[in-house]
Amino acid sequence: MWLRQAFVVDPSQNLAVERDIVLKDGVIIEIAQNLQPEDVRAVLGLSNSEQIPQVNAAGKYLFPGLVDAHVHLREPGQEDKEDIRSGSRAAVRGGFTSILAMANTKPVIDQRALVEFVRIQGQRAGFAKVYPVAAVTKGFKGTELVEMMDLFEGGAVAFSDDGQGIQNSEIMRLALEYAKLTACPIIAHCEDNNLAGQGVMRRGEASARLGLRGIPASAESVMVARDVLLAGETEGKLHIAHVSTKESVQIIKKAKKLGIDVTAEVNPHHLLFTDEDISLTATAYKVNPPLPTRADQEALIEGLLDGTIDMLATDHAPHTWEDKAKPFAEVPFGINALETALAAVWQGLVAKGKLSIQKLVELWSLKPAQRFGLPAGMLKIGAPADMVLFDPDYKEEISAANLESKSLNTPFLGKEMQGFPVMVWVDGKLLLENRQIIDVKN
Amino acid sequence: MKWKHKDLLDLDVLQAEEIEHILHTAGPMKEILQRPIKKLPTLRGKSVVLLFYESSTRTRTSFETAAKILGADTTNFSVTQSSVNKGESLLDTARTLQAMNVDLVIVRHASSGAADFLAQELRAGVINGGDGQHAHPTQALLDLFTLKEKLGGFQGKKIVIVGDVLHSRVARSNVLGLKKLGAEVVLVGPPTLLPAEMNYLGVKISYDLDAELPGADAVMALRLQLERQQNGLFPSIREYAKLYGLNLERIRKTGKQTVVMHPGPMNRGIEIASDLAESPLSVIDEQVTNGVAVRMALIYLLIGGASSDVA
Amino acid sequence: MESKTKNKIMDQDGIRRAISRISHEILEKNKGTNNLVLIGIRTRGVPLAERIQQRILEFENVQLPLGLLDITLYRDDLSTIDVQPVLHETRVPFSIEGKVVILIDDVLFTGRTVRAALDALIDLGRPQKIQLAVLIDRGHRELPIRADFVGKNVPTSSREIISVCLEETDGRDEVLLLEKI
Repeated sequence: MWLRQAFVVDPSQNLAVERDIVLKDGVIIEIAQNLQPEDVRAVLGLSNSEQIPQVNAAGKYLFPGLVDAHVHLREPGQEDKEDIRSGSRAAVRGGFTSILAMANTKPVIDQRALVEFVRIQGQRAGFAKVYPVAAVTKGFKGTELVEMMDLFEGGAVAFSDDGQGIQNSEIMRLALEYAKLTACPIIAHCEDNNLAGQGVMRRGEASARLGLRGIPASAESVMVARDVLLAGETEGKLHIAHVSTKESVQIIKKAKKLGIDVTAEVNPHHLLFTDEDISLTATAYKVNPPLPTRADQEALIEGLLDGTIDMLATDHAPHTWEDKAKPFAEVPFGINALETALAAVWQGLVAKGKLSIQKLVELWSLKPAQRFGLPAGMLKIGAPADMVLFDPDYKEEISAANLESKSLNTPFLGKEMQGFPVMVWVDGKLLLENRQIIDVKN
Repeated sequence: MKWKHKDLLDLDVLQAEEIEHILHTAGPMKEILQRPIKKLPTLRGKSVVLLFYESSTRTRTSFETAAKILGADTTNFSVTQSSVNKGESLLDTARTLQAMNVDLVIVRHASSGAADFLAQELRAGVINGGDGQHAHPTQALLDLFTLKEKLGGFQGKKIVIVGDVLHSRVARSNVLGLKKLGAEVVLVGPPTLLPAEMNYLGVKISYDLDAELPGADAVMALRLQLERQQNGLFPSIREYAKLYGLNLERIRKTGKQTVVMHPGPMNRGIEIASDLAESPLSVIDEQVTNGVAVRMALIYLLIGGASSDVA
Repeated sequence: MESKTKNKIMDQDGIRRAISRISHEILEKNKGTNNLVLIGIRTRGVPLAERIQQRILEFENVQLPLGLLDITLYRDDLSTIDVQPVLHETRVPFSIEGKVVILIDDVLFTGRTVRAALDALIDLGRPQKIQLAVLIDRGHRELPIRADFVGKNVPTSSREIISVCLEETDGRDEVLLLEKI
C-alpha cells in the first residue's frame, strides 16, 4: 500500500515533514519524499502491469498509532458498560492502536488465566492491541502481592490496583521491590482514602457552593510523595496515573531531579475542565481524581510541557447511562474518553498553540510505548504499521449513534468537535475509514 | 410581577424582588392561618406529592399543611412505604410521578443535587425541601420572613449565623437570601466546620462568637449534627457548647433586643440553652408558623397560576 | 389593550351623591346601624367602604366596623389568567358571626367576584345576612347575583369597559365608559 503525501509526524525520528510511506505485510517498508510509481513497484515487488493500492493523504497528518496507557475495558464482569471488543473498537476510532487495560474488572485481574483471557480477547476482537495490566494485590485487597512473574509471563505489561489507592505503605514498598523481577512499572493510583473520605469532587469553593463533599488535593499529593520516596528507596519503577494537582507535579519534578525512576501521566479532562465546570446535574464531569482547580490545571500543562509529566492517557472509564442518571453524589466516577480525547486535546491545546503537534504525538505514542516496552510509537522502516491518518479539519457531533463505546458518559455528548482520525491501520490492516470501523471477518 | 419559575431549588436563581414577592405573598397567607376555618379552594384539584427520602416530620408536616390549606390534594411518598425500599432509583420514581401527572413535587433527599435532578426530569414543579448539604430554600425564606417581621427590613442589619456552616444547607441558602436583600452576614464556627472554601459566600467568617455578637440584630444557631464529633471535626460537645453555644447571658453581649432563631430541632444545652430558647427573644415557635405561611405562598406562586405561566 | 373614552358617567359630585344615597338606603333597609358591619372588596371596594363608613358616622354618629377582603385565593379563573394577581391581606379584625355584612365593590359585572367574596366571607364565619352595595351595575351577569344597593345602573355592551377612578387609588374621582378599539 502506498500512502502519498502525508504530513508525517514521528518524534522518534524527529520527523515532521511531508513523506510517502509504503507498507507490506503489516510493516513499514519505505518512507521517503515524493516517491514515483516505479520506486513503489520496486519496493513492493510489483510488475508494471499491477495496480498499486494507494491512498492520497495530502493535507492530513500521519501519526504513529497512539498508545493509551490507561483504559478500563470492564471485561470480565461489567460488560453492560463496555467489553474488550467494544472498547478496542472505540480505541481505534479514537486513534489508539495500543491500549493498556486496567485490572479493576470483576473479578480483578490477579491470576495468570485472567491476564491471558484479556490478552486473547483483545486478539480475538482484532482492533487495537490490548495489553493487560495486572493487579498489584490479590483481589485488590491491598494486603498480599499477586504472583507477579506468572502474570508477567501471561502477558501483563504493568501492575496496578488502579481504581483505588494502596493504603498500606509497606505493601507498596514491597510491590515496587518485587516488581523489579519483571522490569514492569507499578502504576500507582494515588489516593489516601481517609483524606478523600466520601468526597465526590475537588474540595474548594466550587464544592462548597454546590454542597458536595470535597476531596482535598492532598488526598492525591501525599500518596504521590510517599510513592516516589518508596520508589527512590527501592530503586523500583513507578508510574503515577492521572496526576491532577499542582503539588503532585512539584513532587514528581523533584523526584526526577533526584534520579528516581518515575514517570507520570495526565488525563485530557484534567487539562480541559476544572471544578468550576461542575454543576449538580452534570454527572458526566464526575471523575476520580476529581477535576482540578484552575491553578492546578496550569501546573499540569506546565508539567506536560517541561517534561515532568511524560504522557497523556485517557483513563477511559465507561459507565451506562443509568449509572450516571442519579444525583451527583451517587453516580460512579469516570469519563468515557477514547473517542473524544484526541479531538479534545487537539481543540483545547494544539489548535490554541499551547502544545505542538510533535509533542502531542510524543506524549501519546512514543513515551507510553517506551515506558511500557511496547512495539509501537514510531514510523520507522521495519516497524509495525500501526498508523493514524489525522484530519485536523474533520468535524463531528458526538452522539450515541456514532460512538463505538457501549457507554455515553462523556461531557462532549451532543457537542460538535473538530480534529479526528479518518483512517487507522493496525499491523497494516485498515480498520477505520471515513470515521467508520471496518468490520474484521475472522 | 410575573412569576416565571417552574421550580424552587435554591435562592441563587431568584432576584431580590422575587424574594420580596414571596415574602409579600406570605403575609396574607399568615392571616389565613389565624382563621377558624383554615381551608381555601385555591388549588382544588391540584396534586402535590411529598417525596421525603430523609425523615423530617417538621418540614414534611409544614409543607403538607400548607398544601392542604390551599385546597390541594397531598400524597406522601415516603421511603418506608414505597418502592424506594425495593431499590427503585430516583429516576424511575420521577418517571412514575410524571406518569401520574402530578402538579408539584416536594423533595427532601440526602444527596446534594437530588432536587435539581428531579426538576430536570419532571414537567411538574419541584420544591427543594432540603438536599444534602446544598440548599434548603424554604427554610431560608421562612427565616427571611421572620426577620423581616421582627426587624422591619434588612438594610444595615447584622445577622450572625453560628455553628456547623460547612455541612449546613440552611446556612448556605440563608446567606444567599440575606445578601440579596442587603443584610450584613457574619458566619461563626470552629475552623473545621467553617473552612476557607466557605469564603465563596463572600461574607465575613469568624471563629470568635463573643467578638461578633456586639451589634447583632439577629443570631441564628444551626443544629449541630452530633456525628460530626465522632468524625473528629471537633473534640467534644462540651468544648463546642462552651465556644459556640448560645445562652441568655451571652446574647446580652449584642447590646440589643436581638432576635434569636433556630431552624429546629434543637439540641438544647448544646447550640442553644433552654433559658434562651424559652426567652422572649426567641422566635423559634414563630419560625414554625411562618414556615407554613411561606410554603403556602410558594406553592401558590408555583402552581396557583395559569399553566402556560410556568412552562 | 387600547381603548377610547366614550363618555363620563359620573364626576366627583355624582360619586359623592351616589355614596350618600347608598349610605341612606343601607340605614333605611336595616333600620339603623345595629349589627351592621362593612366589608370592602379589594381594591376599589375598600375606599368606597371607607366613604360609606364616614357618611354613616356623619348621619348617625356611629362608626361601623370595617374590614378588607382580598378574593384572589377564591377566584375561579386563577388557572386561566396569564399574570398571577398579587395577593393582598384580608383584614377583618372582628367576628362576622351573626352580623349583617354590607359587602362593597365598585362594579358589578359577571358576578364572579361577588361569588368569590361570598365564599371568602363564609370561611370567616356565619353572618346573619349579606347585602351587596356597588357603585355601578353594568349588567352581563353570569351568575344569579344581584345588588341590594346600586349607585348607578349603566347598560353596556360587551365591547365597553367601565373605569372607576377614586381619589384614594387613582388620584381623582370619576367613572368613565370606555370602548375597546
